[in-house]
Amino acid sequence: MERAAILAVEEINEAGGVYVREYNTKLKIELVVGDDKTSPTDGVTVVTKLITEDNVDVLVGGFSSAVTLASQVPAIDHNVPFVITGASSSLVTRRTDKNTSYMFHYCTITDDYSETIVRFLNHTVKPIVAPDRNLSLAILYQNTAYGQGCYQSTINFINALGLNITIVDFETFGMGDTDFHTQLLKIKDAKPDAVYHAGFTKDTADAIKQGLADVGLNTLYIAVECCEEPQFYEFLGSFGDHQIIESKFGPLAESYSEIVDEYKTKYIERWGVIPGMMGADTYDAIYLIARAIENAGTLDKAKIRDAIENIEMPQMLIMMKDGIIRFDENHEIDPLCFIEQLIWNGTTLKPYIVYPDELKQRDFELPPGYVPGGP
Amino acid sequence: MVIRLALAISFPILIQIVIWGLIVGCIYVLLASGLNLIFGVMKVVNFAHGEFMILGGYVSYWLSILTGLNPYFSIFLSMVVVGVIGVITERVCFHQVLGTSKLNELILSLGLIYVLQNAMSILWTDYPVLIDSPFKNMIISFGIVSMGLDWLIVIGITVLIMVGFYILIRRTKIGRAMRAASQNRVAAMLMGINVEHINMLTFGLGTALAATAGTLLAITTSITPYAGEIPALKAFTIIILGGLGSPVGAVVGGLVYGLVESGAVTVLGGTWRDAVGFIILILALIIRPTGLFGEKEI
Repeated sequence: MERAAILAVEEINEAGGVYVREYNTKLKIELVVGDDKTSPTDGVTVVTKLITEDNVDVLVGGFSSAVTLASQVPAIDHNVPFVITGASSSLVTRRTDKNTSYMFHYCTITDDYSETIVRFLNHTVKPIVAPDRNLSLAILYQNTAYGQGCYQSTINFINALGLNITIVDFETFGMGDTDFHTQLLKIKDAKPDAVYHAGFTKDTADAIKQGLADVGLNTLYIAVECCEEPQFYEFLGSFGDHQIIESKFGPLAESYSEIVDEYKTKYIERWGVIPGMMGADTYDAIYLIARAIENAGTLDKAKIRDAIENIEMPQMLIMMKDGIIRFDENHEIDPLCFIEQLIWNGTTLKPYIVYPDELKQRDFELPPGYVPGGP
Repeated sequence: MVIRLALAISFPILIQIVIWGLIVGCIYVLLASGLNLIFGVMKVVNFAHGEFMILGGYVSYWLSILTGLNPYFSIFLSMVVVGVIGVITERVCFHQVLGTSKLNELILSLGLIYVLQNAMSILWTDYPVLIDSPFKNMIISFGIVSMGLDWLIVIGITVLIMVGFYILIRRTKIGRAMRAASQNRVAAMLMGINVEHINMLTFGLGTALAATAGTLLAITTSITPYAGEIPALKAFTIIILGGLGSPVGAVVGGLVYGLVESGAVTVLGGTWRDAVGFIILILALIIRPTGLFGEKEI
């Protein structure tokens, strides 16, 4: 996130900065970085410092819903606009205990992941695997607000959309767990057609490997976009062949967006590594904030807040369903997520978009050795 | 909380879950036996025992990557390497504070946790490491039950190591010296046993056993530099449950702990994995404060 933010700030400043009508000049952005150390307590401390000592005009970032729910409180109390780019829980802009009118959620949420996944399963997988019966889905999720959100939103969307998908088993795991054998054995017993793993890079890769190599659960595994990092592909290796990842930003995929290609090139030139998913929202958010300040014409926080709330600008790295970045009444965006299938080419995993049809780069295929579930 | 009846699971899967519990138990047996040895002989509480375990996993990983050696063979080299590091640690660290105060030993071992974690993080980064087994896709069937060949190998290696450990402790001069030192250090010294050498060997052997556990862990799941803390706590739980200083207690305790964990995940869900073992410990101590096999010397 920091690297993406630095890149965006450098680009904007190289172009002269942000024009602020009030001063009739362009002002350079000064990026002040705070590390919450993925701790709610440290998050509160660092955000308080950024507001009271560094006197920042706008906050951007926040990773981990649990941490952000804590660290946003000083921003709420001081009426500082905060564009949250790394927490997947919708609570960050829908709290009932605090006024979140200064909070903006530029990030996909668990609803977005799950909706995309169940639509894909219903549209693409079910006709192949279970044309005459309900598709059987198992969910293995981290027992945190994030994982519970993925699980609950899956149920909600299946019901709301009237999809012929049955959840045959659900299992949980704790943060930091590395052993999923018992849960996977139970899932195997339930005979799923697919397993949706709601976790992060390491645990998802662990679970897929253990499922395929140790437990003999030869099914279709679905990872979520939090795993869209080069390390995930590296760690998964050949076990990831023909498995699925829900994504909103595919730096390793074949070209699907000129903006993404350009960003990827600049990022590699600047940092020497392929960009991960986590920075993409932050990169966009910096540009969004710059545009909002220009629209506001001032550094007054209330006016910046209003300008962010009313922003309309063309999509950037994160695609939007109608191509326009804007916030709804919950201060959330309406992103377009997609499904990638990972193909092992002998040395690396390469993702290809297989859903939705308007972005499709190749047809979905079942993994080699796939065993369907069902009754 | 949803309690799912274990009986709702098919019999073959239930058997596999039990076997996996034993596999996990094997790793705990090795870890707890090493800790038990150190505590039994030296009366030292080493909270960094989990970090030696992880170090063993990383050393095996390096050996298998650099030399192409079968990771199951690299276990024995890893035992030697980590054992030597253990000896050095004993000389440089614990030897200096032994006999001063328990608080000094405690603080030392807590500090050692962070030293080892940071060292491993620098050497191998924080990314998870999984040792690729050459048998990773091999499944063995026993009628209605099938399991990975790796599972059988883990059990086999644990049995081999523990048999070797038993022979060392019970049938060799060094083992007799260790047992003597665990019973009465002063008397042992008076009998001509060099207890300082015994301390070194004990710590080295204890950390070598931890290294074995770490290698098997890195083959069956994955490791990071920070993955040793919880297993170390579990190892303490096991030796208390089994009876401080009791080798049989460490074995039985380790296996029981692995089975209980697997059972907890099956019935209560994954988030109860770590908690249930400690709950069992509390209950066991209420019923039998000296542990299942009582407090013993090695």
